Amino acid sequence: MATMKFTLALFSAPTSPASRRALRFAEAALAGGHEIVRIFFYQEGVHGASANLVTPQDEPDLARQWQDFITAHGLDGVVCIAAALRRGVLDGQEARRYARPAANVASGWALSGLGQLHEAVQQSDRLVCFGGP
Amino acid sequence: MATLHVLSHSPFADSRLDSCLVLMSVRDGLLLSGDAVYALQPGSAPHAALRTRPAGARLYALEEDVRARALSAGDDVELIDYPRFVELAGEFDRVNSWL
Amino acid sequence: MARSLLLIARQAPWSGLAAREALDIVLAGGAFDLPMAMLFLDDGVFQLAAAQQPAAVQQKDLTANLQALQLFGVEELYAAGRSLRERGLAEDALGLPVRLLDDAELTALLDRFDEVITL
Repeated sequence: MATMKFTLALFSAPTSPASRRALRFAEAALAGGHEIVRIFFYQEGVHGASANLVTPQDEPDLARQWQDFITAHGLDGVVCIAAALRRGVLDGQEARRYARPAANVASGWALSGLGQLHEAVQQSDRLVCFGGP
Repeated sequence: MATLHVLSHSPFADSRLDSCLVLMSVRDGLLLSGDAVYALQPGSAPHAALRTRPAGARLYALEEDVRARALSAGDDVELIDYPRFVELAGEFDRVNSWL
Repeated sequence: MARSLLLIARQAPWSGLAAREALDIVLAGGAFDLPMAMLFLDDGVFQLAAAQQPAAVQQKDLTANLQALQLFGVEELYAAGRSLRERGLAEDALGLPVRLLDDAELTALLDRFDEVITL
């Protein structure tokens, strides 16, 4: 198969099996020599950007795995800002803007608009969405 | 090949599988992942429903999800890993995940 | 040429954020002049019912945003005839002009778009 450009969109929280499948798919895509234009986190997927998730030591820490994966490969991980605000996922700038006591977005994540999803789709060969259970 | 449909909800008490089968064409594929692999349970209504898919439409299931649930798949199901999933996403024209 | 997107809306309107966040994807794409269309399927057809009063459950009126689709250049709006029939919804009970599609047309619709998101 020729090299493909993928945009991935994740709609489920890091506690969901869908989040794990998305990560395994992303790993396999890069391992297969394909490109990931952007990973867009929408709806409950925005919880993946929270630095405040605490996972018991004997359980897989998907949020941590996502962050490590995105950092290691220098990927463009974008969190939908409107979906994030509604769910209490805020970076420093948004916490100040709305006078909230704490920012909880881990470093390496960009909060931005839905236009970023569309822009990535325009630059990609395939959009692959992961969500639900 | 046209659309690769991806299901992850259990087909019991959920209408996604039924609606997906309505939308499918002979050139489409259906990938069962997560709890959607319970549709492979022999003797169940979803298992019978899978047989009503258009002739020629391919059926796939994520091998890890089938194994995790102690299910088995018939000869008409291709069990796939993630590298194959990526390959299919490229072979089909589009991927339609039923979120 | 710009890549086209079909959004298949399957969610009832007042059951949480799902229907609104699905619509927001389409409105954002329309704002960028991208080729977008919507198909209302399964419980998604309840979004189309006329004279709903979401204020009774303290919800913003999604219908107003649906009406705005045309202003955003999203003119291709479809609904599954099968979903309407299953739910006892008559075409003249709809508050938004949509084209009803039979099963064969539904299958053909997907093939016209580069990408599909089903929410």
